[in-house]
Amino acid sequence: MIWLIRRFGGLVGMVAVVAFFAINLPQTFLTLQNWLNISQQVSMLAVVAATMTVVMVMGDFDLSVGSMASLSGVVVATLFLQGWPIPAAVAAALAVGLIGGLFNGIVVSIVGILPFVATLATLTIFSGLAFLISDGRTIFGRDIPAAFGDFARGGPPIGAVEDRIIVLPNLVIVAAVVVLLIWVVLEQTSYGRRLYAIGGNSEAARLAGVAVRPLRLTAFAFTGVGSALAGLMYASRVASANPTQGDGLMLTAIAAVFLGMTLTRDGQPRVLATLAGVLVLGVLDNGLTQMRVDSYVREVLVGSIILAAVGLSALGRRGIAWR
Amino acid sequence: MTQLTLHQISRRFGAVQALGDVSLTIGSGEVHALMGENGAGKSTLIRILAGLDRPDTGRIEIDGTELALGSPTAVRQAGLRFIHQELHAVRGLSIAENMHLDHPYPLRFGLVNWRALHGAAAAALARLGLERLDPSHPMTDLGPGDQMLVRIAATLIGGGDRPPWLYVMDEPTAALTNAESERLFDVIHGLVGQGAGVLYVSHRMPEVLRLSRRVTVLRDGRKVSTRPISETGQQRIIEEMTGRDVGNLFPDRRTAGSGPIVLKAEGLSARGLRSANFEVRAGQILGVAGVAGSGRGALLRAIGGGVAITSGRVSVDGTKVGSSPSRAWRQGISYVPRERRSEGLLLGRAITENVTLPHLSALTRARLFLNKRRQRRLTEEIGRSVRLKAASVSQSCAELSGGNQQKVLFARALAGNPKVLLLDEPTRGVDIGARSEIYRLIRRLSDDGLAIVMASSDLPELIGLSDRIAVMRDGRLAETLEAEGLTEAALLARFYHLEEEEGVA
Repeated sequence: MIWLIRRFGGLVGMVAVVAFFAINLPQTFLTLQNWLNISQQVSMLAVVAATMTVVMVMGDFDLSVGSMASLSGVVVATLFLQGWPIPAAVAAALAVGLIGGLFNGIVVSIVGILPFVATLATLTIFSGLAFLISDGRTIFGRDIPAAFGDFARGGPPIGAVEDRIIVLPNLVIVAAVVVLLIWVVLEQTSYGRRLYAIGGNSEAARLAGVAVRPLRLTAFAFTGVGSALAGLMYASRVASANPTQGDGLMLTAIAAVFLGMTLTRDGQPRVLATLAGVLVLGVLDNGLTQMRVDSYVREVLVGSIILAAVGLSALGRRGIAWR
Repeated sequence: MTQLTLHQISRRFGAVQALGDVSLTIGSGEVHALMGENGAGKSTLIRILAGLDRPDTGRIEIDGTELALGSPTAVRQAGLRFIHQELHAVRGLSIAENMHLDHPYPLRFGLVNWRALHGAAAAALARLGLERLDPSHPMTDLGPGDQMLVRIAATLIGGGDRPPWLYVMDEPTAALTNAESERLFDVIHGLVGQGAGVLYVSHRMPEVLRLSRRVTVLRDGRKVSTRPISETGQQRIIEEMTGRDVGNLFPDRRTAGSGPIVLKAEGLSARGLRSANFEVRAGQILGVAGVAGSGRGALLRAIGGGVAITSGRVSVDGTKVGSSPSRAWRQGISYVPRERRSEGLLLGRAITENVTLPHLSALTRARLFLNKRRQRRLTEEIGRSVRLKAASVSQSCAELSGGNQQKVLFARALAGNPKVLLLDEPTRGVDIGARSEIYRLIRRLSDDGLAIVMASSDLPELIGLSDRIAVMRDGRLAETLEAEGLTEAALLARFYHLEEEEGVA
């Protein structure tokens, strides 16, 4: 019985959240359109959280993802200002993400600074660069090519309701591809299994021939590129870029990974579990907004729910530790 | 004179009788040595004395008053203090603060009275003749020897408890240099001169002979003898420690393989290893012996790439081996580390994951995508050959017994068809049944042509299994002995570089 609660408590909690909104919002919540909305709203978060899972598998963190997302949005918009074509600008922004991620990796694995400290520092650096490049302003309007903004609004049609065509948003497709890719990397390749081994016992892994340093270094490239991609998705969705628009992603992404960890059998980060965590956060946000819960109250509620879920899971695993 | 008496202490762990009817008396004003091989029951006895474990039967008395069992607080109030070999200095705190970790800080108006704090520390240091240490300096500025002395001095700081009168020192010199050990001996003399008693646990024979007034020898959980130092000696103590009937725990001796030279080390040095030259042929087992800290483990780590080689070279089949674990594994050197939990296993993970970890690249399609079926098959196959007992290969290693955990590490080592197998304490914390299986496995692997290097602190194991035994002294591979016909006493004597004739006659 206790075992059942431990194993499936998190899942039951998630179903309860969905059921709660389905009952309280009978007309709107369980509709296809609403779920497409939710999936589009969480697509950026899903990309960042999936790549965050890659470093958290090793027991590390990347706090710089939010400011990297802002930076990549600002970079792509600035390049548009200078007349770059869309593919080149997008590629350049992703390259910035790759370089930033590798830089994080070098600082963490070669220099040996704790990830918390190292990425806190690069968070500030990336954020400062975003302000420098954009001169602190929001870039929008005619400077952004229409095709770039249209991408987020478009998508392949999947049906029609009362003359309105319903599309599967492109952003959702991008997020799904990223999650699938990370799933393959983490679960189906020797690279991913070695990352899990580092998280399990890094000294044992080293002595068993795992090249810990290069692996840690490259794993941070995933968060770099992932957050740059999320920044582009965001910029496309709002057809503008400002140097702070990605900042909220970091804490929510880490929260999503932790929520996901409460679902896995061994408490490990797993990318599909992370996806479930992302969806829960998305559903909470969407449902509470529809119920017109004040946005400040919403933050208090979401924070409390994260604390309760992760806390209960920790208690279930090892009991209360008073001393 | 105060006396601590242990009456017929017994402690059993599962099928293992760790202590059986051990009685012992230690008085104030004497250094009483406690000796025995690994697994003889010394640690269990100390844990019981410290109140960290309870005996199944037996009692402890101080001058006729019974001491509450299993209570570290009661033990402390009775005036006993424990000095362990591992040092736990708190970084960033001064010597004086480290000395006050388990005493209340002196206060004035509710704030720390730094002058009184330093004064109390200085007074305690002075009682041991350690005026040269400034209590306001950081603890981490001191070497391990001085840190140990400071820890001893800290026990002299006054408190509500009965003043300490009996010190239990567990291998205090294990991490100390000779000069540091000398300073410790001075302090021990000082303590005894002030009326304290010392229960001194050590493997180091010269120290014991020099310091102690009486020696108690334990073997297989039983007390063999307690004798005044004048009635015993090096030879007798060694005989009493080792006089065990090994029975048929080990496979029969065979003539060593004389295949080609597989592993060769020339002028090898690394951290903790000053120099080693040796070669091992296919089908041979080289034992590595020596006291703790002699370079036994460091030799294996240097070969396996776990620590960087500072000079010299290791070669396998004539090819130089790179100095990193991943290169060593690739070149056919597999390693079973000493600390199963911290250096070996991914404890919470499945057996398959643990076994295949060094061999993942070979178990992939297109050098990248895992072939999980092949991983499972390989694990099952190797698991059978090492007689791993588990519900399934996806069982978590945390749920396995010590012996089976060790077999998981053997399976890992063997899964890549290595040429060289490095074993560091292969039967540490393994029960006797699994032990004999592991011995048979090691012998079988050797017969199959593997070159094996096995470091161990277990003398019967070294003699029973090895073809030759390399003796490490002070970080050097000092000499290599033929194992056949070697007695434990003769081998132990080589640890201390004593001539065998001494005391035998």
